[in-house]
Amino acid sequence: MVQFQLLWEYFKQYMKARLEYRWDFISQFFTDLMSQAINLVFILVVFGHTQHLGGWSRYEVIFIYGYFLIPWAVFTSFFNLWGFNDKYIIRGELDRVLTRPVHSLIQVIMESMAPESLMGVLTGGIVMGWAVWHLPLDWAWYDPLLFIMFVLGGVAVYAGIYVALTSISLYSDSKSDIQPIVYNIGTYGRYPVNIYSKIIQFVLTWILPFAFVGFYPASYLLGNGDWKVYAMLTPVIGAVFFSLGLYSWNRGIENYKGAGS
Amino acid sequence: MLAIEAKKLTKEFQVYQSRKGLSGAFRDLLNREYRTIRAVNEIDLSIEPGEMVGYIGENGAGKSTTIKMLTGILQPTSGMLKVNGYDPHREREKFVRTIGVVFGQRSQLWWDLAVQESFQLLQKVYRIPQEKYEPHLKRMIDVLNIQELLDQPVRKLSLGQRMRCELATSLIHQPSLLFLDEPTIGLDVLVKEDIRQFLRDINQELNTTVLLTTHDLGDIEALCSRVVMLDKGNIIYDGDMNRLKREWGDGKRIVLETEREYELSELQATTEGLPVEWEKKATHTYEIKVPGDQVQVPEVLGRVIAQGIAIQEMQLEEATAEEIVRKIYQEGMTLD
Repeated sequence: MVQFQLLWEYFKQYMKARLEYRWDFISQFFTDLMSQAINLVFILVVFGHTQHLGGWSRYEVIFIYGYFLIPWAVFTSFFNLWGFNDKYIIRGELDRVLTRPVHSLIQVIMESMAPESLMGVLTGGIVMGWAVWHLPLDWAWYDPLLFIMFVLGGVAVYAGIYVALTSISLYSDSKSDIQPIVYNIGTYGRYPVNIYSKIIQFVLTWILPFAFVGFYPASYLLGNGDWKVYAMLTPVIGAVFFSLGLYSWNRGIENYKGAGS
Repeated sequence: MLAIEAKKLTKEFQVYQSRKGLSGAFRDLLNREYRTIRAVNEIDLSIEPGEMVGYIGENGAGKSTTIKMLTGILQPTSGMLKVNGYDPHREREKFVRTIGVVFGQRSQLWWDLAVQESFQLLQKVYRIPQEKYEPHLKRMIDVLNIQELLDQPVRKLSLGQRMRCELATSLIHQPSLLFLDEPTIGLDVLVKEDIRQFLRDINQELNTTVLLTTHDLGDIEALCSRVVMLDKGNIIYDGDMNRLKREWGDGKRIVLETEREYELSELQATTEGLPVEWEKKATHTYEIKVPGDQVQVPEVLGRVIAQGIAIQEMQLEEATAEEIVRKIYQEGMTLD
C-alpha cells in the first residue's frame, strides 16, 4: 500500500517535470497515436485483399489488436526501461537508487515511467469498441473481471521478460542488442497466432509467451473456445514470467559491480 | 554498538582482459580471459558513534569500493561487516534509513525536479512524519542557506548550490551515520569553509558519525581527528592526524632571510652539535630543517641569533598533510 502511495507521488512529480517539456510530451503522445493508427491501417489494408486471416474476420482481428493495445500501453508506461544501461549503469545512477529504502526495481520503474503512453488504453478501448459494434458478442457478467485479469497477466508477461533482459546489464556492463529484438517479437502477439508456423506458435506460447498478451485472451473474449485453456493460463504465465524477471533482477543486484569510482 | 564494524572485509572483481589487436579481439569473442582483482583486502575497521573519520588514499586504492560496501551498494566478497548494526547489503532497505550519503561527483537529487519537490518525494520515500520533517528541514534550509534555491530544478544549480542541497538531502531523515565522498570537490574556498562548518555543527549537535573520503586534505585537517589511509586495498595507517604529522612530517623548517650573504659553513657553525640541516635557497635566503622531536625551534633560533647572524625576515613552515601523504605513498609506510 505504501508502495502505491509512493507510486502516486512519483507520478505527480513526474507529470509536473514532464509537462515542463511541453513539446516533448505532446510529440510523444502523437507519436504513440500515429504508430497505433498505422498498425490499424495495416490491418485494414490486409483485409482489403482478403476476407479472412487464418479463419478470423476483419473485425475479429481488429478486436484482437485493440485488446493488445491495452496491456501494451500499461507495459510501455511503467516499464520504460530502454535507457537503463546508459542511465543507471554507465552513469551510475543505480548507486543512488541503492541508497534509498525502497526496492530498487520499484524505484527504477517509478523514475522512468512514461504515463503519457497510458493513452494507449483509451485508444485500445476505442478500437475494441469499434470492433465489438460489428461483432455479435455475448459476454457473461464475469467476463469484465476476466478481462482485467487477462490484462494484468499480459502486462506481467511483458514486464517479466523485459525486466529479465534489462537485468543483463547488472551482470555485464557491455551493451546487449537483444532488447530491441525481443521488443519487436513482442508485437507478434497482436495477430492471431494460428497464422504463424508451428515453431513460431510454440515460441510465442512457451518461450517468449507474447501470445498471452494479445491473442489468447482476446480469442476467448471473442467467444472462440479453441484457446480457452490458454486464455485461462494467462495470469499463471504472467506470474511465472514476472517471478523469473524479478529473480533475475534481484540476483543481478547482488552481482552489481558499481560504476567506476 | 559500533557505527561501523568490519573484519577481514574483502571485495574482489572479475576483470575481463582483452587481448591485443584485431586477432586478439576475435579470440576474445570465443574465449574470454578473466583476472581477479582484489580491490579491498581483508581490512579491519571499527568506528565509534560520533567519530569523524577521514578515509584517504590514491585513486584506485579501494576507497570507493569500501564506501560502496559500507553503504550497501556492493556485496562484499568475504569478511564480516556490520554498519549501524545491520548487514548493509542483505538488509539494505532497513539499513539505508539509518545512513545519509553524499557522492560529490553524482547527484542524489532528481535532475529534472525542483529542489523542494525532491525533498517532498524523499519525505515520502523515507516515510518521515510531517511534524518531524518540517522543523528539521526548515532548520537545514536556514543553516545551509538554500531558501532561494528551493524552486529551481537541480540541473540549473551551480556546483556549490547543488552541494548544499545534497547535504540537506542526505540529512533529511536524520541519519546517525553520514558518508561523504568528495563533498567539496570543485568548490571554491568560501563554500568549502561553509560546508566544513556545517559538518562540524551537525556532528556536535546530533552526534552524527561522519566518514569522509576526499582528495582535499584540508577537509580532513579541518574536520577529522582520525584518519584511515588506504593503499592498494590495505589499510596502511589508522590513527590520529597529529601523530601522522609528528612521525611523518619531518619536523619543521625555518626559512631565514639575512641582511647579507653568509657562507653555509659559517651558518652551520652556529648550530654545531644540533641535528639540523642548513640549505641555501636563494641569495640571502637560507633554510634550516629541524627534525621531529629531538630539538626545539626556539633553541635553534636562539643559537643563530646569539652568534650575531643578521636576520631580516623569518618564517616557520610545517609540512602540510598533503606533503605527508605524498611522502608516505612515495616511500611506503613503516609506522607501527
